[in-house]
Amino acid sequence: MKSLLCLLAFAAAANSKTILIVTADAADFVLAAGGTIASMTATGDRAILLRVANDDKNAWDLAPEQAAARTSAECEQAARALGIEKVVSLGYREGELGGVSPTELRDRIAFHIRLLKPDVLFIPNPYAEYVEQLDRHYTGMAAEEARHTAALRNHQPPLAAIGVEPHVTRELYYYAQPVDPRRREPEAAATFVPQPKVVGIEAAFSKKLRAARALKTIQTAAAMRIRQRLESTGRRLPLLDTVNEESVNKLVEIELRGLATLCAKDFPYKMAEEFHYAGPEYQVPAKLRR
Amino acid sequence: MIGLILLAAAAIAAAAPLPKAAIPEGKRFLVIQPHHDDHTTDYGMGGLIAKLVDAGYDGWFIRASNDEKDGAWGYPHNDMINQRESEAAIAILGMKGLYSLGWRNDYMDPTPLLELRAQIILLIRKHRPDVVLGHDPWGHYDRNPDHRKVARACAEAVWMAGLRNVHPEHIELGLEPWRVPHQFLKARVDYGRGHEANVAVELTQAHVARKMKAYSAHRNVYAHPSMARSVRQQLAARGLKAPELDRKTDEEAAVAIEEWHMDWISRKRGTENGLRYAEIFYYLGEFDHLPGLTGYLRDNVVKR
Repeated sequence: MKSLLCLLAFAAAANSKTILIVTADAADFVLAAGGTIASMTATGDRAILLRVANDDKNAWDLAPEQAAARTSAECEQAARALGIEKVVSLGYREGELGGVSPTELRDRIAFHIRLLKPDVLFIPNPYAEYVEQLDRHYTGMAAEEARHTAALRNHQPPLAAIGVEPHVTRELYYYAQPVDPRRREPEAAATFVPQPKVVGIEAAFSKKLRAARALKTIQTAAAMRIRQRLESTGRRLPLLDTVNEESVNKLVEIELRGLATLCAKDFPYKMAEEFHYAGPEYQVPAKLRR
Repeated sequence: MIGLILLAAAAIAAAAPLPKAAIPEGKRFLVIQPHHDDHTTDYGMGGLIAKLVDAGYDGWFIRASNDEKDGAWGYPHNDMINQRESEAAIAILGMKGLYSLGWRNDYMDPTPLLELRAQIILLIRKHRPDVVLGHDPWGHYDRNPDHRKVARACAEAVWMAGLRNVHPEHIELGLEPWRVPHQFLKARVDYGRGHEANVAVELTQAHVARKMKAYSAHRNVYAHPSMARSVRQQLAARGLKAPELDRKTDEEAAVAIEEWHMDWISRKRGTENGLRYAEIFYYLGEFDHLPGLTGYLRDNVVKR
């Protein structure tokens, strides 16, 4: 019996994947993909988070430097809650990726792809429309390119010289919160077109919730902004009459349940996350896939 | 057969009228556009501007480019003429003022996004608009670099203006953070799958008349006599003529044709949406950026 368990554990380890999650900010990967990531790490997959911007502006009453330090620590906690092994921060200032060279950003992400050699890549979907934080769009564009260029020897040749070889990532998840009204419209079934994919997250929801609650600075700021907007227009949300850890945690849970319900709509799940997915068959012409 | 049914269903869905937009409660609006005439063109927003003003709003127009290439003259002349005509157009619509940012017309691809955005953030914090009328950053196939750049800068500015750590130097000036709660976005709807409206704004004939008058104020770029000559020639080549244009000079005919087109497009958008006159927009409301909370907030927010 003991040897059978050992064999099963060995088999699981042999099948385990390495996942690289690219996120613009500390919140997006949790809200859009946290449940799926937690489900994968729970089955033995190894995950690393690459965080591009430093969240120095997403706070209610902290100076940029304090906000950056605190959100970094909270991002580490959130990552741990999802079973992510390590967080690598690129340290760009939040909201300023529109002024960063796309090639520079691409090459820095490609470096980490070549270094880590992931089997699976999670990136913000740059084609998700009406996303408010365009850092997510810029990061998605750079990461999508990086997945491609990381596989090419003639990109960044010095990396190969120091032993960081090109790498092809076989699976790609594009994630986004469900803002785009056309996110579920069928795109072409042709080659190179990632397909919509919905993943049930009921079993992992508690971990996702723990991760989202760990982002105290960002979540408190969001709650304060809602309250301020309502106050300025003669309205109130009873839950936020007092903004404290308890009310913020409750609001986070409501938001996560709302997101999960939206994504599960029309699918046989109570809670879900939605992606566009390019798997190993991604580059096989549609007519040959069957 | 299934394909036919799906096609028919798609046609019915495409024909479904858009929800009618209400004018949000508020006092101030900003029109943030790349060019002097974008707010009044056929796909523009002159009707909504007139409607907001009639509802008691004060409005200002932020014109990002200097429009130096738009018109029949050299760069400096076009810049000045288009500025004057913009002032005339916004006065017709009832707006309070105009800011020309002066970025070089049709050369805005290399304009630093963060600099342009900072200018817009400053003006948002100064005026604290309840509504912004902008260009849709998600429109496809827009070949105009100024449209793309301004749309993106505006999309970022409307929410980043609400963050204290964004340009804290503004706070030193006594300006407070301000997040814009309502946006009405426009782009060409005939450019492929890109911009797709989600609301229709009902207009009266008086709104359309003001929109047409404001549109006509841009005489430097519209109502060219050559356009009327071309229309007459094309009609003649087909053995046709338009009696309404017979006694008009080419310039008068050009104005009449433009006004007819403006009235036609407002009627067309109205008819498509079960209204007499309309403009269509992509509307983003105050909490649409929080998809997981919109339902909860709708059901639980109460008056103080």
